[in-house]
This record gives sequence, structure tokens and C-alpha cells, in this order.
Amino acid sequence: MSTKTEATVKMNKVQWFWTWVIGSVILRLILVYFPQNLNLSSRPEVSTPLTSIRRLAEGYWLKQSSMSPYAGSMYHGSPLLLTLLGPLTVTKIEGQPDHLLCSLVFVMADVVTAMLICAAGKKLQVAYGSSLESVGLHQLSEDSDILPSGDFAALVYLWNPFTIVACVGLSTSVIENLMIVLTLYGACARVAPLAAFGWVIATHLSLYPAILIIPVVLLFGYGPDAPPRKLFRQRKNLELDDSTSSDRNCLEDESVNEKRMLKVFSWRPVVLLLFWVLLWSSYVLILCGIYVQQHGGLQEMFKRSYGFILTIQDLSPNIGVFWYFFAEVFDFFRSFFLIVFHGNILLLIVPLAIRLNHRPCFLAFVYIVLSSILKSYPSVGDSALYLGLLGLFAYELKDMQYSFFLFSGFVGVSLFSPVMHNLWIWRGTGNANFYFATAIGYALLQIILVIESVSTMLNHDRMLTKLSTAKLQNVKS
Amino acid sequence: MAESETVTATKPSVRRFVKLGIFLISHSNYVSFIGLVSGIVALLLLPILAKNTYVSENALMPGSANNMLSTQHVSRATEFVNDLTDSVSESHEIIAQYMSALDAEVTYHKFHPQLNQFNPLHFFTSPDSGIVSKNISCSSLGINIAGIIRAPRGDGKESIVLVTPYNPRKVGPGEALSLGIAYSVFSLLSRVTWLAKDVIWLVADSQYGEYSAVDAWLREYHAPAFREADIDNSETCNAINEVGQNPSSDRKLYSGFRRAGTMAAALVIKVAEQGNRHEDILNIYPEASNGQMPNLDLINIVNYLGAHKRGLRVKVNKMFSLFGSRWLNTLGGILESLGQIARSLNPQWKFGISATEYVEGAATLASSLYLQGLGVPTGPHGAFRDYQVDAITLEISPKVSPYKMISHSRNEFILRGGRLIEGVIRSINNLLEKFHQSFFLYLLTSSSKFVSVGVYMIPFALLVAPLPIVAGSLYSEASKSSSSSEVVVKYKSWKWLNSARKVLAIHLWGAVVSLLPYFLYQIPNSTPTTNFTVWGILSASSLLILYFVLGSPIFESATSQPEKGEWASLKSVTIATTFIGLSLMSVINFATAEIGALLIVPICLMAQPLKLDIRSRSLRTLLRATCNLALGLVVFPPVAYFLIKGAFEDTYGIKVDEYWNWVESLWTWNSATYLYVGIVHLPCWALCIHILFHPC
Repeated sequence: MSTKTEATVKMNKVQWFWTWVIGSVILRLILVYFPQNLNLSSRPEVSTPLTSIRRLAEGYWLKQSSMSPYAGSMYHGSPLLLTLLGPLTVTKIEGQPDHLLCSLVFVMADVVTAMLICAAGKKLQVAYGSSLESVGLHQLSEDSDILPSGDFAALVYLWNPFTIVACVGLSTSVIENLMIVLTLYGACARVAPLAAFGWVIATHLSLYPAILIIPVVLLFGYGPDAPPRKLFRQRKNLELDDSTSSDRNCLEDESVNEKRMLKVFSWRPVVLLLFWVLLWSSYVLILCGIYVQQHGGLQEMFKRSYGFILTIQDLSPNIGVFWYFFAEVFDFFRSFFLIVFHGNILLLIVPLAIRLNHRPCFLAFVYIVLSSILKSYPSVGDSALYLGLLGLFAYELKDMQYSFFLFSGFVGVSLFSPVMHNLWIWRGTGNANFYFATAIGYALLQIILVIESVSTMLNHDRMLTKLSTAKLQNVKS
Repeated sequence: MAESETVTATKPSVRRFVKLGIFLISHSNYVSFIGLVSGIVALLLLPILAKNTYVSENALMPGSANNMLSTQHVSRATEFVNDLTDSVSESHEIIAQYMSALDAEVTYHKFHPQLNQFNPLHFFTSPDSGIVSKNISCSSLGINIAGIIRAPRGDGKESIVLVTPYNPRKVGPGEALSLGIAYSVFSLLSRVTWLAKDVIWLVADSQYGEYSAVDAWLREYHAPAFREADIDNSETCNAINEVGQNPSSDRKLYSGFRRAGTMAAALVIKVAEQGNRHEDILNIYPEASNGQMPNLDLINIVNYLGAHKRGLRVKVNKMFSLFGSRWLNTLGGILESLGQIARSLNPQWKFGISATEYVEGAATLASSLYLQGLGVPTGPHGAFRDYQVDAITLEISPKVSPYKMISHSRNEFILRGGRLIEGVIRSINNLLEKFHQSFFLYLLTSSSKFVSVGVYMIPFALLVAPLPIVAGSLYSEASKSSSSSEVVVKYKSWKWLNSARKVLAIHLWGAVVSLLPYFLYQIPNSTPTTNFTVWGILSASSLLILYFVLGSPIFESATSQPEKGEWASLKSVTIATTFIGLSLMSVINFATAEIGALLIVPICLMAQPLKLDIRSRSLRTLLRATCNLALGLVVFPPVAYFLIKGAFEDTYGIKVDEYWNWVESLWTWNSATYLYVGIVHLPCWALCIHILFHPC
């Protein structure tokens, strides 16, 4: 009887999930039909020099008239995007809004991203549940089943206004997000070719996902997120103590089990991953090389895309903090500060990787937040991604502090930012400081978010350790 | 060792900050009371804190050159005025002839007055070329005349605009005089050698409203629409087209539209039809749409030249009803005596002003707040602000009514006005870049005193500062309170999500309510009263539907029964959204936010379920309950409207259609106030009422 009701509850939940997914798609399609009124694709929050669809269309046009797509400092993205999305920007259907096909592709990409997040979440949840059980915390693992974090994260991603705005505003960050999520899913599912493909393309598109190689390697080496490794060792020791008295027949079987239990870094899948990375990256480079062969070759491509990202040539205002600073800085200090600013990200990578190495997916989330704070051309598409991923850790982060404050802050900043921009650019009564103030507020919010989530996660780990040691002592005594 | 020392050294400072926050939150009642009272007191002190204006931009140098406008120019101008008043039908030709006789480039600009369009997000978008609707009859075609003098020393990239609205069907003596003043200046400027910016004289056809004519010309100037050619060429419009097409052998009548670079500033010149018997008065109207003001320097030079050089009495709008109010006079008296006491203690303290001065300043400040808060421009100069051009309307009201003016006094008047305009133009002509030196965000307390943004933000900040503190204290209270079900305990730090969902739903309802008039407009032949009733009924019914949908078990998750602290978390989310909405509005239109905060903040802070208050049955709680009920009634938008109107405009009596007309005017002027009332004020009111009647 009870199983039957459970089944119907589950059916209801599935139905409910799909209704919301379809609802979000319909909302996007409605918004796609008002492009002129919203004019989102020209908002600085949505389209940066790297992600703007208008620049992509311009690059495609240049290429069609057999010029270098990078001529005139308009386009700075990847040649592969040009071949994929370029033809869609010029095909128009009579009576339909411009870029309709592009919009449809972007809506599709959003849905696929959400599905991948959902699948990754399910994989993470199953793995987490089993590892909790193996530590001996059965009760907690049952608790964590209450909230299907994968579904939750997927819905958060789909219904996040930032995601919707980025999708309707035709920002190519949607594609970048898809690739990043593909990487994470591939790593969670331990499919080396998929993860390698996602990582290579994401890095190729926007450079910053390059740092995700560390969590991906950890995912392949250690497996998905789990409680601290110390607990497994303690548990193991206890079992060994028990087993010394008993017979040792099944030694071989145990050694395999032991390896999995102890979470030893396994090199073989990592090497496989690196091999696939090499393969995919050479493949991508060859394709790009063919495409830009007549226009300066790969060197030109690197200079115009990665060089543009790293040297921050475009100082038009965006929601980041770099444009303001580099508009002010003296020219002869420029390279020094470029190194300092980019060094910030690299500085944080190693300590975080050491502290959070037992939770590679969460580590990836932290890296994504950090890179979206310290990016040279950030857009709301980046925050859409990490806010979606935040949902994956809903169970672990359930005791997060300041959640209400952060929520109000995000709402406030996202409303203030366009108003301040308007005050500065269109009304002329404000100045750059007005807009930059919201950019600082936004950066602060993101910093608080990352600090709070990391500390909550560490607290959660502490709580697990406490529970587990208490249990062990109970067993011993 | 050293490490531990640094840790102990840094820790207290961090803790002190947190402690301060905790202290504020734990004493939120006192904080909110102090904030509210001090906010209102600071608002009342603003007339004292006002500073004298000063010309900030050095390049302007108002009044440094001698006036060149002579009686010769004036006599020619009177000739022009006489010609204009004598011949009724051919005013266009006369104006064009006189203009081209001065070697100006004259063009006609035909336009259709814009229909009422609802464009609530107009504020966020760049000015665009309006959509010309298809079925426009030729009878509603207006003709602007623009004359351009090219500056001998300029490069044609900058210009100064003079605007004189007039009605070609019936040229009144006031309008004719304003045209005369502009003509005298124009004729002088066509000969001078010092001109560095081109001068455009726009004679705006005001038969369909002054604003729409100027707006149409500006739109054509900045963002031409290419569809208008079709309308001009249609056969039915021939009669009107002839006006532009027989140039009567003039050399300088150009076809097409001519431009003269970016506009440095614009002056709209008007002459009042009524005389005021005492002296010549210059009224300045600076408010543009959404409470935007021109740069203060423009007002400064007009004020300086008008008051000191031309001996005019310069005035800005005042609320005359406030002069009679007893409490304001008493307050002024108290402040005056306080100032005297302070001066007797230390002669260096000079903050005292006399009671009459205080009342006058308060009345001007109130009108400044009211006019900015409405978000409706006070004259055709408002159209310029949308293109970032600083503009004001100068309305000169002469001693004698223009109807009775004899020729001598008329000459005198034109000379006086013309010299003022000449001085202003000469100052603007000196500008090296566009106005940027002085303030854009200010309130006027007289024509020579202002309150800058740094000062007037203080009362507002004091008013809204309690909101986040109270929200924080309620939130911590709500999360502390024990709850029965286990799931809620686990996710207690996310419990506010449930309240946030409700608040979001109510705000969406507010958006729907503010969009309803768009559909009501489609109903033909409806009176304001029926419109208003239908609007009210539709809003109320949609709220009811929403209430039932939200209350139904589909949306209510199974575990959340009405809990003890539920209203507290709902209130904290409500207050947080109110805070965000008010701060946002203070950036868009400060005056609206200030008036709105005065109305909504008290009830937001005080709202508490009536059931709880009545249950405890002490005098304090019963008093609070009655206060809440009274505030809940007062804050309801139509009631608030009539109260404000009664307070400011001295007209009593409540008519429903009046409210509808007010809403309609806000709507057609694309005022952000409309959106504020619909999306922030109304939902917050509804939520406060919901909290009052919460079944806890």
C-alpha cells in the first residue's frame, strides 16, 4: 500500500517537474517574440564584447565577404561559433522576428543544460547517499533523499531571470554554460571523451573554464563529492580491527573494496581523460586553423580572442569591475596591473583545491563563481550558471546564513544596475561612478555568496565528522 | 606568538561592527521610531539648510558684456508683432518672411501630434523615432517654423535653441509679444560677430499642445522617421502642403529639414496673458519629465541676469495653500527664535532664517517636490530633457496686461525681455562644453536657493534606514521561533522562500493592475467614472482569484500550516521589497520616493496582526491596532491621492473621475510615478493589509 502511494507521489513529482520545464520554455518563446520592445541584446549586462550576437553577426558578415572575421576589432569569439551560429543570424523568416532561429537554438541549449544539471545532480545524489552509508550515517542519507537536488537545480537554472535574460538577449554565454555543464556531467558520469570535449570547447570559447581542469581531474581520480576522506579511513580502521579476529578468506575482494572505500586517487581514468583532452584540443585547433587559414592563421586567432580577454582592450562598461579600473590606470602600469588582476584567480586555485579536494563538484562551483567575479568581461549569463549549480548542493547548504540578504541583494542590484546605466548614459544626470557602484555591490554580493557557501560546506563536513566519530565511539564502547 | 597577537588585534574591530549590527537589530523598535521622526524633522529643516546658488561654470560670465540690443531692433520687432496681429490667416508666411529677411535658413516642419501611447518603460529606452500611425487626417497637421542663423565664428556643430509656442489659428497678444521678443533677439544675433554657436528659433505650432509640437520637432531633429513622406504626398493634404511649397521667391526658404549640431541649451519664451499690476515678473519652469531638472547653472544665469541686470522679479512655483497654514507659520516662528538663541550663544552660527522666509521656502520646496514627483513636465522645455539638452521655460508676466499695452510700454517690455534673452544666449555662447559643472539633482527653495542631492538625501535615508533593520530583526525572530514539522526545522534558513513567493505573486498582481488601463482604453465611449469602476472591480477580482489560487493545496506545500512566525517572515520580506523599491525610485525620481516613503514607511514598520493586538487587550496594543487601521486606510492609493491633493491644492471634495484623469495624465506622460504606484506602493499596501488581517 505504502509503496503504491510512494509511486504516485513520485509520478506527481515527475509530472510537476516537466510542467515547470515546459512552462519555462513557453515563457522564453513568448519573450522571444518581443525583441524590439525589450532590446535585451544591446544591454551591457547581457552582451559583452565576447558574447554579443550582433558582433557575431558582424564577424560572420566579414567572413562571408572574405575578410578576416577579426578585422576591425568587432568579433572576438571562436571561429567555430561563427560556422555554427553565423548562418542562423542571416536567415530570416518572413513575418517573424530577426534571429528567431538563433533564439530557438539558445532555448534548446538552455533546456539541454538544465537536463544535464538534473542528470548530474542525480548521479551526485546517489553517490553521496552511498558514501554516507558507507561512513555509517544512514539516517542522513535518507534525509538527503527528501529533496531531489538535481530537479531543483535544473528548475533554478531554467527559471532564473538571469538565465532567461541571457537566453532571450542572445548572449553566447548560453553555449559556454552548456559546455561547462557538459564537462561536469561527463566527469560525474565518468565519461572521459564527453568531459574532455566539454572542457576543450568551453576553454576554447571563453578561456576561463580552463581552471576547471582541476575539479575534473579530481572527479575522475576520486569520484564525486563525498564526506571527508578521514572518515572513511577511521571507518576502515574500525572494520580492520573487527576483521583481525575473524577469518581473512576474501582478501582479494576486500582489496578492491578497500580502494574504493579509502578513495585512493586512481590514475588510469585521469590519464584517459588527458589523452582525450589532447585529442579534442588538437582537433579543435585543426578546425580553427582551417577556418582562419587565409586570415593570419591561428596566431591571429589567439591574439584576437585570448589576447583580447587577457589584455582587456575593450573598456566599455559592464557589470564587472575591471573596465573602470583600467580606464583610470596609467598606461605604463597597465601590464603590471593586468598580471596582478589575473593573478588573483590563479592565487586562489591551489588553496581551494587542497581544502575542498573531497568535493570536486563543489570546487568547480567555487571556481566558476570566482572566475565570474574576476572575469574581464562578465555578464549575467555567468551568474545564471553558478546560481543553477548552487541548487545542486541544496542539501549540504541548507543551513546557509544570509540567504535572505543575498537574495534581496541580487534582486536589488539587478534592478539598480539598468537604472544607473540609464542615468549615466541616457539622462546624463549621473556619471560612471553611479554605475560602477552597482558593479561593486554585485561583486561584493558574489564574494559573500562564495564565502558563505564555502564556510557552510566546511561546517557541514565538521558536522559529519562529529556524527561519525560519535557513532564510532558508540560502536567501540 | 605574533600571529596570535594579530588575530586578537583584528578580531575586536570585526566584532564591533557585527555588534553594532546586532545592537541595532535588537533595538529595532527604538531605531525605527527615531529614524521616522528624525526623517520628518530633517525634511522640515530643508528650507533652512538650503544654500545660495552661484554660477559654477567660469566660462559663462553672465552679464559681463554690454547689451547690444537697441531700440532699432525693438522697433522692427514691434513692426513684426503688428503685422502678425493684423493678419490672421497667413501667420506662417509672415513669420517665414521676417525670418528669411534676416538671412536665416527657414524651414517648415510638418508633424502629426502624437497620440496617447502607453510606454511605461520609456524611461529605460533611448529616445526613438515614434511610430506614426496610419490613419491620420490632414486636418490634424501642425506646422513648426524653424529659422537657423549660422554663427560666423562657429563650426556648425553646436547650437542654442529659442522656442516660442504660438497658435496660428488665434494669435493672442501675449504670444505675439513673445514672438516679438524672440524676433528682436534673433535680428540682433543675425548681425553680431561674436556668435560661436548657431541659433535656432523654433516657432512651435501649439494648436495641439505646446509640448507635442516641440517634441515632434526634436524627434525629427534627432531620430528622423522616413515614413512621414508618404503622408505629405497624399493628395488630400495638398492644401496644407502648399504652405511649404510656394516659397514666394524667398532666397532662403529651404525644403527638407535642416539641423545645426548638438544643442547646448534651449529657452522657451512665453509671455503671460494676464498682467499682474505690481511689477514685471519672470517665472521659471524647470521641471521636465520624471522629475529631471536642467543643470542648475542655466537657472543661475537666468536668475542672475533677470534679478540683478534687468530688475525683474524672478519666481519659481510655490504652493500658495501652504502660506495660510497655521502649523507651518508656528514652526517657522519656533525655528526663528531657535536661530536667534543660537546666534546669541555664538554669533558664528547663522542658521536662523525669518519665519516668513521659512514659510516661503517650505512652500517652494513643497511645490518643487510635488511637481518633480508627478513626473509631468511643466512646459514644452520638458521635451528637450529627453535628449539631454538643458532647457527651461521663461514666462514673463508684464505689469500691464498685453491686451491693454500701449506702444511705448510694449517697446519697453520687448527691450527688457530681449536684453534678458540676449544676455542668457551670450553666456551660453561662451560655453566650451555642455553644462556639467553644476548640479542636476536638486530641489529649489526659491529662485536663488537650492537644496542639493547630498542634503536632501538625508531625510530620505533616515526614513528608509529603519526598513532593513526591522526586516533583519523580524527575520531573525522568525527563524528563531520553533516550528512543529521536521522538514521546516531542517530548512529553516530557507523558510523565507515561502513568504518571498507570496510577495512576488502580489507584486506581479500589481504589475497586472498597472497594465489594465491599457485594455480599458480599447473600450470606446467610456467615461472616466466607468473606467475607474471597471478598473477597481477587475483589480479586486484578480486579487481574489490570486488569493484562492495561492491558498489552494497545489501551491501550498503540505507541511506549511499557518505557523506562529509566518506573518513575521512575510512582513520582513515585504519590508525588504519596499526598501528596494523605494531606493530604486529615489534614483529614478527622488521626489516620488520621498512622498511615497512618507506614506508607506509608517505602516510597513507598524503592521502587526490585529488578532494579536486585540488578544492582548492592553491600551498600547489597542492604540497600535487603531493606528494601523487608520494608516491602512490612508495609504490606499486613491485615498492618499485625495489627501495629498487636499493638502497641497486646497480643493476639497472627492470625485472619482478626478483620480482616473490623474492616472491617465501620469500614464500619457510616461511618468515613472505611475509604475511606482502600481508596482511598489499598491502591492506593499496590499501586503500590509494582509498582515493586519493575518490569521495567526
